[in-house]
Amino acid sequence: MILVCGGLADGVTELVCARLEDCGYPFRLLDLGSYPAGFKVAWHWRGSVPEGWIAGPDWIVDLHELTGVYARFLGQDGRLPPPNIAPASAPAVHHEADTGLMAMLEDLPCPVVNRLGGGMSNNSKTYQALLLRACGLMVPPTLVTNDPAAALQFYEDCGREVIYKSLSGIRSIVRRLEGEQLARLELLRNGPAQFQAFIPGENVRVHTVGDRLFATRVRTEAVDYRYARRDGHVMSMEPATLPRAIEEACLRIARELGLLLTGIDLKETPDGDYYCFEVNPCPGFIFYERQTGQPISTALADLLRRATNPLPKMERRTAMR
Amino acid sequence: MAHPGRFSWRLDSAASASQFAWGDEDPIAGDDLDSVLVRTTGWIDPAGWEPADLAYMQAETQAALLGWLWSLACPVVNRLPSALWYRPRAAPLSWQGMMRRCGLPTPEILVTSVEGEARAFGARLKREGVNGAVYGPLTSDARYLISDDGDWNGLAALQESTPISLTCPHGEARLACVVGEQVVWEGEPNPEMTDLEPALVRFAEAAGLAFVELALAPTPNGICVIRVEPHANLEHFGEAARQRIAEGIVDLLTAEGDS
Repeated sequence: MILVCGGLADGVTELVCARLEDCGYPFRLLDLGSYPAGFKVAWHWRGSVPEGWIAGPDWIVDLHELTGVYARFLGQDGRLPPPNIAPASAPAVHHEADTGLMAMLEDLPCPVVNRLGGGMSNNSKTYQALLLRACGLMVPPTLVTNDPAAALQFYEDCGREVIYKSLSGIRSIVRRLEGEQLARLELLRNGPAQFQAFIPGENVRVHTVGDRLFATRVRTEAVDYRYARRDGHVMSMEPATLPRAIEEACLRIARELGLLLTGIDLKETPDGDYYCFEVNPCPGFIFYERQTGQPISTALADLLRRATNPLPKMERRTAMR
Repeated sequence: MAHPGRFSWRLDSAASASQFAWGDEDPIAGDDLDSVLVRTTGWIDPAGWEPADLAYMQAETQAALLGWLWSLACPVVNRLPSALWYRPRAAPLSWQGMMRRCGLPTPEILVTSVEGEARAFGARLKREGVNGAVYGPLTSDARYLISDDGDWNGLAALQESTPISLTCPHGEARLACVVGEQVVWEGEPNPEMTDLEPALVRFAEAAGLAFVELALAPTPNGICVIRVEPHANLEHFGEAARQRIAEGIVDLLTAEGDS
């Protein structure tokens, strides 16, 4: 039995459920849009693995029956307030319920897509960059600073071809460093920001699903292809083939982070080099699957059906210079 | 990482170079650092910030600091894994699996939204001679003894809204601090506790914590670890233990190579 923890209003979760249905793989949906309302749970830790059950409106599943779990947690916006709870208290109730659920998922012996641990790396792009380097991927020349003079020097060193973006997990639009922003560099003194040499070439999005890999080439003139159409640019996607070494490095970083599903952002330069920008532990792969027909959700369904994945390895402890 | 500090860190596929200066002082290069003791994950003074900007800048500062600490070749105590960096106050529940795998006993924990399951848990404890169970929200450090009918009814009302977490009551806790491969106790531990020292060190190693505070206490199932504090607090320990912990930290900071 497969457990899906997510909200049906979320397109990715909806696609996963539809694919499981299509494949004929039995699954249960723990609808996080309403959870904890409408569900009963009881699980306990006597050993290192939780035991117990989850019951939905017309089903019950024992934790030891699970062959795989897909979890995509929701922000507060996607959730119904629990009944008989003041709206102001709803976030606290959801947080409490989710914490118990996350702890249980973290210790399940079956594949969990994804456990939280490795995903936390995405909250620091520079921390990830060090991991990416260690796995054999090139990363763009990067500066993190709160020193306007250092930023200006980097700008010159990179031939005035520099972008800036958030270095935390807070989403930002990638923008070129140009006149208006250069005039505001003094504000850097308030705290650090991330600058990167602009890497020319084509974006390649890689999705790893267990030991399978799907590469998608994105063609656009936009600096940030996610916002290409909004910014008036044309964008197209097609399946891509990567050099074996790059494929292996992508699979290695996913393994290192203990992530069974990743979205990895690469760029191929005109010289054929591949630079890696980040690893997304909760990728919205529906966008790419719909554009290219690549069977990402089918691979995910197959992975959840198999019960072969061990608990994730621990993060490395030594410095990653 | 804000004025009057000046921080810059360059990173590319082959190299990493950083420097930090305070005010007009000469900068210190990351390569020149002998070691780093980490006591914060990047707190910034909220004064003068709009809430949204503060949250963003806090996240950026934490992200920069985490990455930079991992880029340093010198000993860093603690060089927290990202999962702990971002969840330093993780619920005791979240340590259960790792502690068990390292050979550390932990109290049984039940998470349930079913009144009958909770009451059965309490009834079983009662049969074992323990009157009551401990309810503790997973998202706070508060703990409540659930012992009489009023308590159990109140808990049942709470379960209508969210699953609750129950565990067994424990006796007086004794603190331990793992510093490297040494375990420093606050006061005199009993032999059952000292027998756990190898497992405590194993756990610290597995968690990526060279310096960690734990609390152990007797429970109906024997001695268990009831709390983990990745940011160990010296003030929790008496003078003699503090001295030994400080010496242990100095040993870690003056060791050769990574930590």
